[in-house]
Amino acid sequence: MSYWYDAHLILIQSTFVSLLLALSIQFPLRMGVFSFAGIGSYGIGAYAAAIMTIRYSWPAFAAIGAGMVVAMVAGYLLALLVSRLDGLYLGMATIAFTLILTVVAINGGSLTGGAQGLYGAISTLQTGQVILVCAVVVVLLALSERGRMGRRIDAVREDPELAVSVGIRVIRMRRMAFVVSGALGACAGGMNALLRTTVSPDDVGFSLVVLALTMIIVGGSRSWAGALIGSVIFTWLPQVLQAVGDWQTVVYGVIVALTAVYVPSGLLGVAQNGYRRMRRRSGPVAGATEKATGSEEPGGDSAPLEPLSEDVPTGGTR
Amino acid sequence: MAQDVINAATLGSLYLLFALGMSLAWGTIGILNFAHGSIFMFSAFVCHLIVREAALPMPVAVLIGLVVGAVISVLVQVLAFEPIQRRAADHRRAELQILVGGIGMAGVLLAIAQRVTKSVPFGFSESTFRVHVYDLGFVRLSNVQIVIVVAACLLAGLAGWWLRSSRSGLALRAIGVDPEVATMMGVDRRKLAVAIMAASGGLAGVAGVLLTYYLGSIAAESGDAFLLKAFAAIVLGGVGSVGGAAVGAAILAVVETIVLVQTSGTWVDAVSFGLIFLMLLVRPRGIFGRKEVRRT
Amino acid sequence: MNTPEDAAPPAVLEAQDVAVHYGGVKAVDGFGLKLEAGRICGILGPNGSGKSTFLAAVTRLVPLTRGRLMLDGEEYHNTPAASLAHRGVARTFQTVRLLPDLTVLENIQLGADLRAGGGGVKQWFRRTAVPEAVEEAIERTGLGAVRSARPGELSYGMARRVEIARALATRPRVLLLDEPTAGMNQAERREVSQLMQKLRDEGLTQLLVEHDVPMMVDTCDRLVAMKSGELVTEGAPAEVVRDPAVQEAYLGKRGRNHA
Repeated sequence: MSYWYDAHLILIQSTFVSLLLALSIQFPLRMGVFSFAGIGSYGIGAYAAAIMTIRYSWPAFAAIGAGMVVAMVAGYLLALLVSRLDGLYLGMATIAFTLILTVVAINGGSLTGGAQGLYGAISTLQTGQVILVCAVVVVLLALSERGRMGRRIDAVREDPELAVSVGIRVIRMRRMAFVVSGALGACAGGMNALLRTTVSPDDVGFSLVVLALTMIIVGGSRSWAGALIGSVIFTWLPQVLQAVGDWQTVVYGVIVALTAVYVPSGLLGVAQNGYRRMRRRSGPVAGATEKATGSEEPGGDSAPLEPLSEDVPTGGTR
Repeated sequence: MAQDVINAATLGSLYLLFALGMSLAWGTIGILNFAHGSIFMFSAFVCHLIVREAALPMPVAVLIGLVVGAVISVLVQVLAFEPIQRRAADHRRAELQILVGGIGMAGVLLAIAQRVTKSVPFGFSESTFRVHVYDLGFVRLSNVQIVIVVAACLLAGLAGWWLRSSRSGLALRAIGVDPEVATMMGVDRRKLAVAIMAASGGLAGVAGVLLTYYLGSIAAESGDAFLLKAFAAIVLGGVGSVGGAAVGAAILAVVETIVLVQTSGTWVDAVSFGLIFLMLLVRPRGIFGRKEVRRT
Repeated sequence: MNTPEDAAPPAVLEAQDVAVHYGGVKAVDGFGLKLEAGRICGILGPNGSGKSTFLAAVTRLVPLTRGRLMLDGEEYHNTPAASLAHRGVARTFQTVRLLPDLTVLENIQLGADLRAGGGGVKQWFRRTAVPEAVEEAIERTGLGAVRSARPGELSYGMARRVEIARALATRPRVLLLDEPTAGMNQAERREVSQLMQKLRDEGLTQLLVEHDVPMMVDTCDRLVAMKSGELVTEGAPAEVVRDPAVQEAYLGKRGRNHA
């Protein structure tokens, strides 16, 4: 065990960093906010932590915290700027935001080390501490998936108009999503920079956007568990695929494409469906459909004045 | 100065060829194809393999690029996007899945090209086509540049005419406005989607081959950079309109050329991203974008 | 336009000269009404007459082109929709809008969350919010047996009741119902009508948008007729229904088919 742990330390560390990164995209996505600003925040966090460590010898957590604060402020300002955008347009704008940051890093002179980046960010950050941070984050996010907060996040994603009609301040929630995303992304970036003792503009490019998105979609976008599955798979897959040698990148692409097409709810969704089906087989839900009284057809005996053209009864939503 | 104009025109034409198909697919059938960059690269790559075996003239190479691009694009549509659209629970999920499906397909294409070329840039050195540079005194102009600009104008004009006047073009625009009405009009969405993806891929293929002729060689990784440029052009001009794509590509090329001339060149990439960002903030629908009529 | 009636209770919610234009389309154009405390007002009007748009304007979901909105005599046309909900204005929608992944109980809890107190991290993670309001809403709408079902498993009529229950769980002072009985059978309609009347007797101010004229006559204290975004007439239900302008605009050729 301990031998295995030592041999795979870098992968283990990457798994947790990737988890935080994936969560930084997933959390806004749970509110229907398609933002990649978390990747930009990763860059902010990485550079801030490296700069604080190298120049001012700040302790690890202070350096990471500084990056988080900067990224949260940036996230909030970005949220104000892009408040009119939605869907793919929002995705584009936030990708642009992220890539602008990369160009700024390349042109940042001695502060960011230009195209080479920064080296020698040596700190006392331990793998155990990284895991602890991840655990705390996961617990908080898991709580946000339940109860009142869980319902409200669902409502903001599924039907913002309905959400405001039950008093949910959707705009505020969405801004919060940007801030949380900034904190998570910066935390991931800061930890990665300190674990690797280095950061360069190449670390924060379009490929990282692609990786984070892939992790969430393949793992499952609705829950932290999906992000965990995704980050484990995509951190370890290259290792596993060494067996197929040269073709590993091809296989990798095929796996991503296949999951996107045929497993839309992600691996987590598959697991949940299987679990639900098992439970249903063991004991059916008490009289849900049977209890529904009367006819489902509109206008039968009640003779409304017009055919109810717009709302054809479908039994579900929309 | 005149030289800069020529260079900007060439760059803009390449952007237009590349972005046009992507913009049309997005604006009409709602597919934002992340594999577009890889299709572009892969067409040039296949062309490179063929030209290596047989010394072909340029028009044939361009034709090969067109066919390969169209075929791959249709394959991506049939294998990935079609099943996704058929099975997706709702619009937003489908958008996301199409994004990731495209990324996966792009990954496959990129990996194959990387494996075969060992990530060494490839070109058409065996082609019978020779680059001539005409020195007009105040400006130097190559025959490749002329071909690129002419091809872009011709193909964009053709696409615009097709959308405006043909029956299937009208049907496509109907889909873009309201899929349900289009279906009621008796439009076969599936066939049209395949057609538009073929056209879109064909344009990308042509762009890929011409870019390779222009630069001498391209690397397997060139696709992603172009993808981002195309976003910028599309967002600038407005999704789904030929004129929009043309104006977007032109603005992007001009601004990039200016920045390249005025600065050290490391800021060039910031231009496209900055333009995307600014445009989305100021006028999210683009210069020529129509108001989105999305019914809830 | 708003002629005060004798001994009318004070208006809780009032809309004056409301207009909502989309480009050239005048969805609502100079419509207004008063919701008097503890009464049920109904809006009568053919499809496309702007009833739902008016409701959306009143609940601040669409911006006003023109007009005044007042809650307790205080203008609110700059108040965000969410704040309006916090001030006791609840609504249902014309189409069923339940969250598919949540159970009936959770969908109703979503309404009650509103009354679970303001911000604070602790509040975010509270599991149940105002259980009494939820239980009361479930009981009133008769949804006890399906509380753990998901919306997809419900009949349309049942799903509509969950909508009403969710609105009730917010413990509103004003309840706006947009075609709450569409897709329900006669017995279910009667139940909704009875529920509304009971709520009125408890002092809840309500606005009903419906197609079922007999039900509206039975349920409402006042009717306002709307056509093409404009006010046609208003008054006591029986009079409004008999009004020739209403007969022509709304009942028209099919006026005799129901009784």
